Amino acid sequence: MASRILSQASFNLFKNVSKVSRQASASFSVGPVRNDKIDEELKKVEAPLVTVEPHQSGVTITISGVFFILFQEDISPVTGIPEEHIKNRLIRIFKPARNTMQSGSANTHHWEMEFDTRERWENPLMGWSSSADPLSNLKLSFASEAEAIAHCEKHGWQWYIDQPKTKEPKVKNYGVNFAWNKRTRVSTK
Amino acid sequence: MLRAPIHRALSLPNLRQLSPALRGISSSPVQLEKIEVFVDDKPVLVEPGTTVLQAAAMVGVEIPRFCYHERLAVAGNCRMCLVEVEKSPKPVAACAMPVMKGWRIKTNSDMTKKAREGVMEFLLVNHPLDCPICDQGGECDLQDQSMAFGSDRSRFTDIAFSGKRAVEDKDVGPLIKTVMTRCIHCTRCIRFASEVAGVDDFGTTGRGSDMQVGTYVEKMFLSELSGNVIDLCPVGALTSKPYAFTARPWETRKTESVDVLDALGSNIVVSTRTGEVLRILPRLNEDINEEWLSDKSRFACDGLKRQRLVAPMLKNEKGELVSVEWEDALISIAKAILNAGNQTAAVAGGLADAESLIALKDLLNRLGSEALCTEHTFPQDGSGTDLRSSYLLNNKIAGIEDADLILLIGTNPRFEAPLLNARIRKTWIHKECDVALLGPKVDLSFEYEHLGDDTATLNKLASGQHQFNKKLAAAKKPMIILGGQQFGRQDAAAILAAVQQLAQSLSASVNDKEWKILNVLQQVASQVAALDIGYKPGVSEIRENPPKVLFLLGADEGTITRADLPKDCFVVYQGHHGDQGASMADAILPGATYTEKQGTYVNTEGRAQQTLAAVTPPGLARIDWKIIRALSEVVGEPLPYDDLNAIRQRLTEVAPHLTRYGAAEDANYFAQAAQLSKSVKTQLASTPLDVKLKELQDFYMTDAISRASPTMAKCVQAVLKQKSSKY
Repeated sequence: MASRILSQASFNLFKNVSKVSRQASASFSVGPVRNDKIDEELKKVEAPLVTVEPHQSGVTITISGVFFILFQEDISPVTGIPEEHIKNRLIRIFKPARNTMQSGSANTHHWEMEFDTRERWENPLMGWSSSADPLSNLKLSFASEAEAIAHCEKHGWQWYIDQPKTKEPKVKNYGVNFAWNKRTRVSTK
Repeated sequence: MLRAPIHRALSLPNLRQLSPALRGISSSPVQLEKIEVFVDDKPVLVEPGTTVLQAAAMVGVEIPRFCYHERLAVAGNCRMCLVEVEKSPKPVAACAMPVMKGWRIKTNSDMTKKAREGVMEFLLVNHPLDCPICDQGGECDLQDQSMAFGSDRSRFTDIAFSGKRAVEDKDVGPLIKTVMTRCIHCTRCIRFASEVAGVDDFGTTGRGSDMQVGTYVEKMFLSELSGNVIDLCPVGALTSKPYAFTARPWETRKTESVDVLDALGSNIVVSTRTGEVLRILPRLNEDINEEWLSDKSRFACDGLKRQRLVAPMLKNEKGELVSVEWEDALISIAKAILNAGNQTAAVAGGLADAESLIALKDLLNRLGSEALCTEHTFPQDGSGTDLRSSYLLNNKIAGIEDADLILLIGTNPRFEAPLLNARIRKTWIHKECDVALLGPKVDLSFEYEHLGDDTATLNKLASGQHQFNKKLAAAKKPMIILGGQQFGRQDAAAILAAVQQLAQSLSASVNDKEWKILNVLQQVASQVAALDIGYKPGVSEIRENPPKVLFLLGADEGTITRADLPKDCFVVYQGHHGDQGASMADAILPGATYTEKQGTYVNTEGRAQQTLAAVTPPGLARIDWKIIRALSEVVGEPLPYDDLNAIRQRLTEVAPHLTRYGAAEDANYFAQAAQLSKSVKTQLASTPLDVKLKELQDFYMTDAISRASPTMAKCVQAVLKQKSSKY
């Protein structure tokens, strides 16, 4: 797929993630220098984070002539998640769509991640739904897409973003129902 | 004397008093200065004319509503959206009231709460307490809002045991179940029918507690968009008949996917439970379907579990198809393919996804065959399918709203692409756009200028001699939509050439250089992707060079039959339904439908979208591209992709836009296409332009899935019955 899209998106977002980490540097571990020191340096020099190669996992920062390489944590070796569920899974990051049956927009303002669908079947004993996929019912919510991406990157999962569809504001006017020369005139009531 | 003579009423002093104000209005330039209002003390800057409800939405305050809907006219009759405005003695209806400068709107004050509580109380007095047996339960606005805004106790005591208001149920067809006692008279269904569907059948009769929503004389709601009133209904008065008593919303798993039953690719949500698709709902996408869905896309989902091919099959000596193991099927097909070598051909049907299309093409190309065709044709003269702009809806679906004149040629968008027609209707109503139709006279649900169905008219238009050319030339943003069905005609090349030249002649007078004029409305979901990948449109090549092995990838339209093929031709059908294609096959490979695979589809505007797997393919059926990948292994030409990522990488290699999901790439080279079209030798035939889908009954069953759907069959019957009725 679109490894190009993926890498392009991850490139852009990686930048965002690293910007976020400037304030709260928890999600990055640092090679030779301590986090707080870099933060201090970054506060002094408002330099953009540069030289990010799309497929590189580290971020190189140049601050006053010294090179720092930030590596994002990859916790997949210690999470205990089987390798099969790390390498072969594709994650969709999305904002849930509103239920068209209702007017309200509750439960659509956060980001979620879901795994690709694996085989599900009807359990012959009770008729319930069965699956051999331990991740199929995992539902994680995030406040922003960057957080979701950071989570996936941390676990070594492949992901893609489904951009939410937004509404366009429309001008509403009660008067057009009674316009005498427009097609908006309402006949039935 | 109470009445003053009119000349005195209009005497000068009065006018003089008025005049400064009038002068102020007329002389000042139109300024769209934003007004500041405060919603719960949060300041917000809004355009003049914004309603209170919209202003509140901008700061994230949702005002409860029943009758108000963004895509329908403002009715203002449910009164649920009453809010307090500071210094106003009475609460105002937020949905209909435009904001004024400096207003302080209080959406949570005591007065607002009391107003809402009062409205809720009145609504509930006449609403049955049948939530446990109501299909809307769990996704009901009335339920939610009575919990959030209603009173905590009831004053309703039926001392006289006279019962609550009861209303007779209406029969409006096989899709919509009505329980009219639950109706709260929001009139959303009435407004939808008259504004969006263009079928002005619904209305109210009676007054007060005798008021009823209905058709007055009982009749079916004859619209291709009728299912949307189920979504619109805020209570359980209108619910889905096929889905009745099937599931509660909290039991189902929702998968956000894309519809493939027409060429628009409407966005949908598939609700599933235990491996079964229960219902399909629309999903918001302003660029394609807004918030609507056509009845076929919504209700044909019960066809997904009928007539399915669940096991590979091979023909035995008696000529009967018998189920076999995958291994046997693949080996016998591989043998046949290896025998045939480069004399293998393939036909792709309308529901094939881009992944299986590219896999099949790669396989056949490796065998040395280039005979890959689509069922639906496109003229190869002129620029043919080399220029993408010739076969796309270049203005995009949302672009219709900018058009000021639309010319439809040889198409009936109402049934070929109902949501495109809804867009045209919306533009016709709200933007005063004019529409003309060259083709058979059909009911488009709005008024249009009929230019006849003669091909000579098309010739006249192309050469600029028709009286309609003046209108076209005067239009600032004209749009021509050519129906893809016309490409099936003998003189398709001439029709396309004439339309291309007409569009090109208009482009000079259009100021907006980004505005495209030529648009093609495709018939099926797979066509654009197939042409992008490099399939040849139409099966004429296969008819001319009969192959030894014919591979049908979901080809069910019967464009190629046994009669077109030599006796010893081995026909392989890969697909999900036992339809026309399977009936002529020697070997059958069971595939997956669009709800069972993650597949790429490109819609008629060239927008790539992907479906997501909601359920598992039944029985031994498998994902289509994986079947072809497995076959390639047996044939000895293994394809170099093993997973979805890899095959999508291959798609990206062939055409990068195929994996840019959600985006529609613009196409260009209109002038060059028009130039090349001049070399077309074909002459326009005298047979009038015709369309297949003329009436509502033709709309429901058009592909393998909808033909297998009992609901769609019921619809056809009901429409025919209604049409024979005298009402």
